[in-house]
Amino acid sequence: MSKDGSAHFFTTKLDDIINWGRKNSLWPLPFGTSCCGIEMMATFAADFDISRFGAEAMRFSPRQADLLIVAGIINLKMAPVLRTVYEQMSDPKWVISMGACASSGGIFNVYSVLQGIDTMIPVDVYVPGCPPSPEGVMHALMRLQEMVQKGETHSQRRLKAEGKEFALTAKA
Amino acid sequence: MDIRTPVANNYGDLATKFADTWKSQISRLQTKFSGAIEETRMPGEFPVDVPILYVKKDSIIGVLSFLKTEQGFDYGFLADLTAIDEGPQEGSSVPRFEMVYNLYSLSTKARIRVKVRLREGEEISTAIPVWQGADWAEREVFDMFGIKFTGHPDLRRILMADQWQGHPLRKDYPLRGYQLFTEPDPINQSLLD
Amino acid sequence: MKQNETLPSGISIEHDPDDLWSDSRAYVNIGPTHPAMHGAFRMCARLNGETIEKSYCEFGYTHRAKEKLGENRTYHQFVVYTDRLNYCSAIQNNVTYSMAVERLMGIEVPERAIWIRMACAEIARVIDHLVCVGINAVDLGAFSFFLYGFHQREEGYMLIEKLCGARLTTSYTRIGGLMADAPEGWERDIKAWVKKTRATIDEMDTLLTNNKIWKQRTVGVAIFNKDQCMQYSFSGPSARAAGIDMDLRRDQPCMFYKDIEFDVPIAQNGDVFDRYAVRMAEIRQSLNILTQIADRMKKGPIWSEDKRTRIPDKEVVHNTMEGLIHHFKFFMTGFDVPEGEAYTQFEGSNGEAGFYIVSKGSPRAHRMRIRGPSFWHYQALSPMCQGEKIGDMVAALGSINIIAGEIDR
Repeated sequence: MSKDGSAHFFTTKLDDIINWGRKNSLWPLPFGTSCCGIEMMATFAADFDISRFGAEAMRFSPRQADLLIVAGIINLKMAPVLRTVYEQMSDPKWVISMGACASSGGIFNVYSVLQGIDTMIPVDVYVPGCPPSPEGVMHALMRLQEMVQKGETHSQRRLKAEGKEFALTAKA
Repeated sequence: MDIRTPVANNYGDLATKFADTWKSQISRLQTKFSGAIEETRMPGEFPVDVPILYVKKDSIIGVLSFLKTEQGFDYGFLADLTAIDEGPQEGSSVPRFEMVYNLYSLSTKARIRVKVRLREGEEISTAIPVWQGADWAEREVFDMFGIKFTGHPDLRRILMADQWQGHPLRKDYPLRGYQLFTEPDPINQSLLD
Repeated sequence: MKQNETLPSGISIEHDPDDLWSDSRAYVNIGPTHPAMHGAFRMCARLNGETIEKSYCEFGYTHRAKEKLGENRTYHQFVVYTDRLNYCSAIQNNVTYSMAVERLMGIEVPERAIWIRMACAEIARVIDHLVCVGINAVDLGAFSFFLYGFHQREEGYMLIEKLCGARLTTSYTRIGGLMADAPEGWERDIKAWVKKTRATIDEMDTLLTNNKIWKQRTVGVAIFNKDQCMQYSFSGPSARAAGIDMDLRRDQPCMFYKDIEFDVPIAQNGDVFDRYAVRMAEIRQSLNILTQIADRMKKGPIWSEDKRTRIPDKEVVHNTMEGLIHHFKFFMTGFDVPEGEAYTQFEGSNGEAGFYIVSKGSPRAHRMRIRGPSFWHYQALSPMCQGEKIGDMVAALGSINIIAGEIDR
């Protein structure tokens, strides 16, 4: 107890503190295929720094990352690769669909383009834009952080339904 | 106003700059390959930017090597290798495709185009002996149009997945002809052994 | 035991007769999602330890069917798709495409529009080279170099944003003109940016050019000599690094390049260091060109008054009947391009970028062929990395500046 009566510790629920830790240490897997990849690089660079949000550790291995940022076009040739990468990530995992091409096929409604990655994997946040400016990507990241704190993302809801929300072992 | 209108800062002066060079080159070619050249289109008479030679498919490699190596021609840079589809034709003997070779000469700075008319199902010999870089361009033409190249060491799809059916850039392939796959392409070990 | 093998391209692999493991090699898949492959490319390699014995490259993971779209969209609608070709220098593709269609139609664009287009092309060249050398350095471990370059890139984006509102996918040029005029004082901003970029490039130079580690990693790596480059139709900085004296701005000048003074840097060896050095020198030359353009740009119209392509101004559209009908017809059906064909080339940041357009007199192209220089350069990666280690392959890939948009279209 300090002189003015305020406490030197605070109480919270275990869920909240764990989600606080998760949201402030999102490690992105930059799945950049085309033009949005350049704006994603700009977001990671010094001017629009994403490491302020704890997301500096870019891990290109799905086993080590928890945030999949799909930036760019996903082809019908690339779709099985994306699905494999998503399945290799361990829970909890989050997906940001960056750009119009990833969200819905964008301006390319043609024979070789997947019309939106949400036909294959569950997406938590969509970022519109072609390409979205780095401020848009950071806004999406902050929105994702709110969702992680409240437990509203697809991955957290699925784990809660299975009863494994804060399991200490990762899903295989 | 069309391509024959000279706009000097948009390459319109090339027609006057190279008029004599092209004329002498075409006349030399016509004396040497008289049977092989079906038609010649010059920039003044036709709406084209450079002279176009329509060559018979059997002599294409001879013409390309001559253009590449001969003194005074020196078209050593293969700028582009592609094809054009006119659409499905009524008779099977009417040519449907045109192979296009865009050439550039580093020494004379001139450009020229060589075309070959092909019917559906006809094969043409590969340009790899002349330029090694024609390899992938021909694979792309095969992938997009279905034109086969005799003598090509490795003719398989390049832009589309290996399991794709059909040739997308043909006029009868729909713009939205999706084909979904579930497995990524495995490593083709035979290519690495 | 394997015998000595000779590949079709003439390169031979020698097998050590004492090598007990010559029958079992690792077959490794590098990509399509890999940090060092810029974009989605795949290289399947047979490895002997760290050495690549044989490999083949694949692409097509970002194929967006732009050539088919070219046959299904009007010429005006296609401008948007050209941005996404070489997306590191997006505005340059707009310029090339507009030049190609204007050539087919015989349209002459006014002077100010040409100067602005040239300035855009050179800004795009600088930012593309900054990305290329920056990412090449990141792959080899030099991260600060990348950050300095990217800061100048952001400033360059602000210049382009002042012009047309967008950073990357600009769709700025129109057939017969430009979307909007450059704002007041844009020339001053260009000169300020040029001054800062020159200082930054000098600083970046001190970081890497005489750096022993950089030299050990890049000198003598992935050499591709002049004859090989000609076989594979190399152009642009990768060809100039091998000694080929080819620059379309000087040899086949378009726009006002013959009134501008600039040098063309050429190197001799054709290794990764030479490509890096040629790009750094080209950035400096482009900055010189930009200063000259900023001095010579004068006020004037930006639209050619050709009735076929002139998009009517908003006052005319809203207040006159003819303007409204013209606007409607323009955007609903498009304008007819006269019959003909042309291959229009431009010295892009990567090499010779070209549009081969065949028109049959309709508002849509009959064949829209895009020549992307990276397509021809990527083909050479496999022979270039024959016998090199994987780390050298990473350096080589970064140096030839492969951009997925140009290869896959």
